[in-house]
Amino acid sequence: MNSKIVFTVVFSFLLFSSCSDDDNDSEELTGSGEVSIKFDNGFAGNDLVLGATNTANTNGEVLTITRFSYIVSNFSLVNDMGEEYVFPKDDSYFIINQELEDDNIVLPEIPAGEYTTLKFGVGVDQEKYLQGAEGQGDFLEKAEASNMMWSWQAGYKFLNFEGNFTSETVTEATEFKIHMGSHGSSLDNYKEVSLALPNKLRVGDEIDSSIHLKIDASKILVATNNIQLTEKSVIMVDEVKSPQIAVNTTEMFVVDHLHNGDAHD
Amino acid sequence: MRPVCHGQVASYKEMNISNYIKFVFIAILLVSCSNDDTEYAPINEPLEFVNPTNFPQATYNFEANPPTKLGFELGKKLFYDGKLSSNGFISCGFCHEQAFAFTHHGHQFSHGIDDLEGTRNTPPIQNMAFLNEFAWDGATNHLDLFPIIPITNEVEMGETMTNVISKLQSDPDYPNEFQAAFEDGEVNSENFLKALGQFMAMMISSNSKYDKYIRNEEGGNFSELEKQGLAIFQQKCNSCHSTELFTDNSFRNNGLPPNPQLNDLGREEVSGASTDRYKFKVPSLRNIEKTAPYMHDGRLGTLMSVLNFYDAGVSDSETLDPLLKNDNRLGIGLSLEEKNALVAFLTTLTDETYLNDPRFAEY
Repeated sequence: MNSKIVFTVVFSFLLFSSCSDDDNDSEELTGSGEVSIKFDNGFAGNDLVLGATNTANTNGEVLTITRFSYIVSNFSLVNDMGEEYVFPKDDSYFIINQELEDDNIVLPEIPAGEYTTLKFGVGVDQEKYLQGAEGQGDFLEKAEASNMMWSWQAGYKFLNFEGNFTSETVTEATEFKIHMGSHGSSLDNYKEVSLALPNKLRVGDEIDSSIHLKIDASKILVATNNIQLTEKSVIMVDEVKSPQIAVNTTEMFVVDHLHNGDAHD
Repeated sequence: MRPVCHGQVASYKEMNISNYIKFVFIAILLVSCSNDDTEYAPINEPLEFVNPTNFPQATYNFEANPPTKLGFELGKKLFYDGKLSSNGFISCGFCHEQAFAFTHHGHQFSHGIDDLEGTRNTPPIQNMAFLNEFAWDGATNHLDLFPIIPITNEVEMGETMTNVISKLQSDPDYPNEFQAAFEDGEVNSENFLKALGQFMAMMISSNSKYDKYIRNEEGGNFSELEKQGLAIFQQKCNSCHSTELFTDNSFRNNGLPPNPQLNDLGREEVSGASTDRYKFKVPSLRNIEKTAPYMHDGRLGTLMSVLNFYDAGVSDSETLDPLLKNDNRLGIGLSLEEKNALVAFLTTLTDETYLNDPRFAEY
């Protein structure tokens, strides 16, 4: 080992040990930093692997998922004083897409502070729809590339969850398709999520931090509402089931851990 | 207006010859830039939207997308450009012809790429700035977003937004035109939809004989028959075809027997609610004389047929509008005399100024 490597090792060690110290409040946070959020998609505690068979859910349905994408939006962070920083709305729409492995979003220029709660929405809110083209940028094209456009109604699929399944009564692999979004002006399926962070997220100059979320896609069918594919396997614009799926979808997000002052590996 | 010169220029006396040449050269450049005809720096200016005095307040948000001369012109060019479709031939204007209040004259259904046919009759484009629901089933509630529907519909223009934008980006002219029309100048879906939005929001039909009658303007003299028609209209039709827009913007089942070959569920396709089955948007009646055939599926050829239908053709169903179920009868009782008067009144809604307005014309 030459001295350069030794120096690097020691320096990294110092860096890591200082980063793992969450209670160090004496250090003044100034300026701003970047917060990245990892959406680590899974299914009932395992990795979500497209095309692979998952374990049966409590309805006895065995799902093979071939597509899993969703829109997350309107991010904000609440600090330990209860003050909320709302990320600029025009830049606050993202598509998480398992096929394209788009699972990490970056929120730049977050004001220095210690944040205790992460908030965001699933889907596109009515306020955004009613802005028309204003502030859209190229989000439409991105949505199109990810199969998240509901072009027949100029709207977005908030969730695109597809694959095939078998159950006790459905023994042949049968296609399922769940496309959830708002129904024009008549049904708003945009929902908000608020997640308490397990410890403080520190952000400031030279301090970029990240939040690692674990997503459990099995919740889409089995959570507050119980959705049985055996009963109906293509759910697109369903006045009853779509709002239930919207509620279930908000329950699939859990904060696993934070990385303070360190880009996510 | 004189071209304004930014930055410091040495006084004339102090200049040597070479500086003098540079000065003259810059001056020429500036002068040529201020010329409207050059493609390098066309001057943009705001376009004023005038709310007709007898209309309600416009609902379109003109602050979010303020119309400008060049934004409007770009929107018009896009409206008439077949590039927006997959085969390069089907423009918006293909199905929306000005002479027929921007409907597809003589076509029951809109024709799209590869001679494919839709299942609904092309609605007119007029007074869109006053509406808050678009398409027969309210598939969008913002005018800006409407073009996505026909562009991406596989039996209409059959294209993707992504492809449209990339075709425009590689076009020799569009990038300059987007640059001139919008502050950030980008060729993206936001500016694309804004340009079309500006064009459509400015398309106002408010100079029919009826408008002149209401505003006591020249050319607004109603015949006795037309006056009689208006009175019947106010008594029997305007609970749905209300306001100066001649629609209350609601979705209703008017009792048209569903065509089993199409089984078009109407508003239910958007809302998912069975209570919305067979409900369609109440259409405006402006320029109605010019927009045959009628109804969402274009099944009726004349205004008289429409009135005959309301008189004697309404069929009952769970979602039939309650207004069409009165006095132990279905529909709206109309005598032949009343029908003739109504047709006379309805033709006063034709606005020749609008149908011939060069601002909206293709050529």
